[in-house]
Amino acid sequence: MSRIRASSGNRFLFMPREYSTYIAVAVLAAVLLLPGVTGLIPSNLMRYLLQIFLYIALGQAWNLLSGFAGMTSLGQQLYIGLAGYAVAAATGTMGLSPLAGIAMGTGAGILTALLMSLVLFRTEGMYFSIATWIAAEAMEKAFLNWEYVGQGSGMTVRIVPYPSVRWIYAASLLVCCFSVLAVCFVLHSRLGLGLMAIRDDPSAAAASGINLTRTKLCVYVLAAVICALAGSVFFINKGTIYPESGFSTGWTVSSVFICIIGGTGTVTGPVAGAVLYVLLGEFLAHYPGWSNIMLGLVTLLMIFFAPEGIAGFLRKRTGINLFSGRRYPEVRGERGKEERPRGKR
Amino acid sequence: MGILQLLVNGILLGSVYALLGLGMAMIFGIVGLTNLAHGEFVILGAYASTLTASALGIDPVLTLVFTVPFMFLAGVFLQLLLINPAMDRGGEPALLVTFGISIILKDGMLLLLSADARHAASSYGLATFHLAGLDISVLNCVLFLISTASVLFLTLFLNRTYTGRAIRAVSDDQQAAMLSGINVRKVYAVAMGVSMATAAVAGLCVGMKWTFYPSSGGQYLLIAFIVVAIGGMGSIPGTMLAGIGFGLAQVIGGANYGLMISYLCMLAAMALRPARRGRKL
Repeated sequence: MSRIRASSGNRFLFMPREYSTYIAVAVLAAVLLLPGVTGLIPSNLMRYLLQIFLYIALGQAWNLLSGFAGMTSLGQQLYIGLAGYAVAAATGTMGLSPLAGIAMGTGAGILTALLMSLVLFRTEGMYFSIATWIAAEAMEKAFLNWEYVGQGSGMTVRIVPYPSVRWIYAASLLVCCFSVLAVCFVLHSRLGLGLMAIRDDPSAAAASGINLTRTKLCVYVLAAVICALAGSVFFINKGTIYPESGFSTGWTVSSVFICIIGGTGTVTGPVAGAVLYVLLGEFLAHYPGWSNIMLGLVTLLMIFFAPEGIAGFLRKRTGINLFSGRRYPEVRGERGKEERPRGKR
Repeated sequence: MGILQLLVNGILLGSVYALLGLGMAMIFGIVGLTNLAHGEFVILGAYASTLTASALGIDPVLTLVFTVPFMFLAGVFLQLLLINPAMDRGGEPALLVTFGISIILKDGMLLLLSADARHAASSYGLATFHLAGLDISVLNCVLFLISTASVLFLTLFLNRTYTGRAIRAVSDDQQAAMLSGINVRKVYAVAMGVSMATAAVAGLCVGMKWTFYPSSGGQYLLIAFIVVAIGGMGSIPGTMLAGIGFGLAQVIGGANYGLMISYLCMLAAMALRPARRGRKL
């Protein structure tokens, strides 16, 4: 990032334009966090907002893998469920604090992601998608039979006193900000450029000197961390976890939906998608049974009439792109002039 | 149980899994599409068979006379009206269209048919016979016969009919097939129809063998995926072998850990054996 020097055409206030995203996130976070912790937002509204935050994080993770890296995962529920169980085990069985539980969940996620990468990175494309899904299903079956985690009857998150809505709200907001910032940071970095090169053509990327395994591993572990963080906060909010809820394919369905309606391959997309998903879900709760039918119809309509999602639609109409992963190249002197040769490759 | 008994049970069970993968392999091999709605098609077939059988009071196997043509036509229209236009926009939109269809079908069935467990009961559902010291379930034998017959029928169709040869030509080289005057969009529609017809047969087997719910589709989609991925995309003999392998791993694993062991075996197989890129039927 330090290599990119902004000049007059690419400045936001007095900084390089890439920074505008970080500032937007920071300002939004502050605006949402302060009334939340001081109790200005009614707790009902807070419950919706925290759902939105967590789904934004999940959407970002899936989008990072599928939209930017071309690694379409159907099994991120592996990390969500694992982290949920880690929180339940840490707080309920070991008597630790919820923060320690979240840390344990994330640690378990990182460890599993590293192990999984040994298997998963030997597969590509659709095989990768299937392998991620199989791994998540195998984990569900293992937890269904494991006595320590209560087999099919699941576990309860026991924390005394139980975290207030404000606490959970703040935690999910932080998780959400972390996910947006981390994805933007990755995209602005050299890693992100390599990532998109891999998505577009793995062989050409490898030939240009990109370390495929290292780049993919960084992204995969980061996505696992985001899912684990979101999963642990989600199950602290929920209170109980079962194999069917923790490792549910429903997590993948919502992540995919959020990214499609928001727009894949953009950072704003999952944010817009998650807001719409939670609002739509809330609205459709009045019509039991219809929710997935409507979600499916919305998906079909979006594919045929707005294939770039809400984010793409808004950008085309208004030119607004709040959270951008875009890189702004140096503009110096004449157009088309070669960039200054770089010292170290 | 003796080893021979495990082997027989595994092979009979595996033939159902192979049938699940067959429709998926067709679509992947010919259309080049990952069909996320295949599991729901199977469950749709299971409901169609169960409901027809109980309405007419006939053996579930006989309902194939109604369900197979119905599902074939449904597949043809689905491809012509929705998936072909989506495929014009690229691979990802087509994949997501099948995703949309899958969640619509799942909740549609839930809404119309309730969340109760269903089962296609047959008079021989629990009968067994003894052969050379082995206990063999009559039901498993019937399912094995159904799936073997389907595979044979499909192979004959692909090898002996004009449409079948056109399908194979498209699967081999789409552009060359177009140049020879084959209407690729029609071939895709027929392929989707055949795929849905095999899903109807697979659905009958699933309904006779296990209880099912509107939400069971995901489970069978996963099995179909696995069978196809291991068997090599679009290869019929490979799909059969992979299905039987999956069945064997599950039977050997036992009731509690069977599916988990199957999943782990398949994961290991995918990692150890670099997947073939072949798309030939």
